[in-house]
Amino acid sequence: MFKIEHITASLGEKKILDDVSLTVHAGELHAIMGPNGSGKSTFSSVLLGHPSYTVSDTKGKKASIQLDGDELLFLATHERVKKGIFLAFQSPLSIPGVSVMHLLRSSYQEIYPPMKKSEENLGNAIFSRAWKAEDVTLLQFIDRVKSVARDLFIDESFLKRGIHDGFSGGEKKKIEMLQALILKPKYAIFDEIDTGLDVDALKVVATGIEKLRKQGTGVIVVTHYHRILSYVHPSHTHILVDGAFVEHGTGALSERIEKEGYAKYAKDSH
Amino acid sequence: MQKTVIDDSYKYGFSKPEKYFYKSAKGLSEKVIRTISGYKSEPPWMLEFRLKSYVGYLKKTLPTWGADLSGIDFDNIFYYIKPTAGKVSSWADLPAEIKDTYDKIGIPEAEKKFLAGVSAQYESEVVYKSVNEMLRRKGVVFLDMDSGLREYPDLVQQYFGTVVPPLDNTFAALNSAVWSGGSFVYVPKGVHVELPLQAYFRINAANMGQFERTLIIADEGSSVHYVEGCTAPIYSSDSLHSAVVEIIVKKGARVRYTTIQNWSKNVYNLVTKRTVVDEEGIMEWVDGNLGSKVTMKYPSIFLKGRKSRGEVLSIAYAGSGQHQDAGGKVIHLASETTSQIISKSISKGGGRTSYRGLVQVEKGAENVKSKVVCDALLLDEESRSDTYPDMRINEKDVSIEHEATVSKIGDEQMFYLESRGLTKEQAQSMIVNGFIEPIVRELPLEYAVEMNRLISLQMEGSVG
Repeated sequence: MFKIEHITASLGEKKILDDVSLTVHAGELHAIMGPNGSGKSTFSSVLLGHPSYTVSDTKGKKASIQLDGDELLFLATHERVKKGIFLAFQSPLSIPGVSVMHLLRSSYQEIYPPMKKSEENLGNAIFSRAWKAEDVTLLQFIDRVKSVARDLFIDESFLKRGIHDGFSGGEKKKIEMLQALILKPKYAIFDEIDTGLDVDALKVVATGIEKLRKQGTGVIVVTHYHRILSYVHPSHTHILVDGAFVEHGTGALSERIEKEGYAKYAKDSH
Repeated sequence: MQKTVIDDSYKYGFSKPEKYFYKSAKGLSEKVIRTISGYKSEPPWMLEFRLKSYVGYLKKTLPTWGADLSGIDFDNIFYYIKPTAGKVSSWADLPAEIKDTYDKIGIPEAEKKFLAGVSAQYESEVVYKSVNEMLRRKGVVFLDMDSGLREYPDLVQQYFGTVVPPLDNTFAALNSAVWSGGSFVYVPKGVHVELPLQAYFRINAANMGQFERTLIIADEGSSVHYVEGCTAPIYSSDSLHSAVVEIIVKKGARVRYTTIQNWSKNVYNLVTKRTVVDEEGIMEWVDGNLGSKVTMKYPSIFLKGRKSRGEVLSIAYAGSGQHQDAGGKVIHLASETTSQIISKSISKGGGRTSYRGLVQVEKGAENVKSKVVCDALLLDEESRSDTYPDMRINEKDVSIEHEATVSKIGDEQMFYLESRGLTKEQAQSMIVNGFIEPIVRELPLEYAVEMNRLISLQMEGSVG
């Protein structure tokens, strides 16, 4: 269970999230919808511990981000990730010279370290030549990455390129999805995964989300539009306006938003 | 299971007990030079060459345009040390303590991998060398410079000091007076040396100067890749390393010279490297400078023949207390010549890197193309990077490109990698290694791995 409670978050002096709570169970699909500037991206970043935001309790109620009973709020970003959460970025920056495969190999070994600590395993995982993960050999891992990439219609040549370096919007989204599928998180957050995608790519990404759900990953899709939700069907929908949830509902709520937009909430909040 | 190439203790330097056959007195004099030459039983012309260079050296002053060299105490240096007598040609014959030192920098592994012949320099003289039989059959000469002078006196006399004249600069003059060790390579016409020739360097005596002299001659249509890497323990007083490398690339030949320099942080590394390239020849310098207190090194290429090509790939890393003043020079003397200089530098913890480069096109050299790219990465606010590009273009029909960037590691890049399970240190290492990847991928595999490890080592304790 991924349980977020009473999160209030500020960027400098500016309060962006105000007492946000949300609970997601394994295999569920939640949609968080909201207009521009409602705090959607902040919500995603805060869950991973982005250093720009300050998280505080809400009116005496303790802020908390719990994953299967473990408190994540005071952990560093990489420690949270090792507990099993994943964030697909809305517009990830490029890292020239760091190939997609190299990053995936390094991440996988960090997230799935060996159970036994032998002498060879004490070094830095990134540049050690020995493969450390125990559930899969390096060759099997590479095959797995290639196979998932094929399913996502990612050309194999992309795996050797610097991550997101010169990639189109659609390619970036697919590479984010590839990482989610390889790293197999318990809970995955997709921030505006549908922007900049054509219909074909949208379907590919939607298939990826379905696959994650089937393997038991709880998924949070953060989106402005209903587009992606025509292909994946959320069990829960939450409307975020001005940093607070204003309505919770089922999949039907997202369909209503598509017809009516956010105008109603804008009136309420002003 | 493979051992890591770079042991953690490396970071703090490691030093072996010294064992010498002969050690000269500290300081330099005509007597010291005569002793060195006499000890090596050199031909009279070489003694003459040394003495003339010494006289010239005495008139030279230290350069004032580059890094701060005021810390060098020239009187406090041993100008010649001969280690254990005789030479060994197999790994098994090496003294245990030397083997141990090499183990720490991973030589046996490299030997297994490449086996092109290892010429490892322990102090002033090459004591260990194993030359692959195949090379011998092809007529390739790969010797230490002293043996080269003994066995091929005419060839050495013909080329020695022709690319870097003895009075070219202060340090070339000093080297010409007291040189010892280094490599002599001759590749006959049309011969392609498939595996890299490797030489490892290591100095192990306090206050010791290293003045190797390397001469490489690639005859017409031949090709060779020469690789040198050096590491050194840390001393309490400053050390000087001042090598001269001369390379002659004949018509249609191709030479690549790769260096990874990782001297300890008290070494002044002042090296003159130069090459002359004939028609349709290709010269490539791959130069990595990670260690030393001060480095001043600008591998140079004189494109003398039509359609010749020169390339300099340079990586510099400067940490606390280090100044890497590096770059490259290309002088276009003939038409249709092309060149490229790519420099990547990283500064951290108050370290300073400078790119100093020259592209010169002589009158009469038409249709010349040259591209210079220098990228600097600053890891913190205290560090510094400067660019001193010099362009002297005396011909109209040329295409010259110059790009320079200075960047910092962004918080969002760091957050992205941390969100993939990496610590801040790992994230920073990864970004830095990605930054230098275009040059590292040109290195032989063992060196590329070593480079990545050295960078990771440098990043330890640097964040958070």
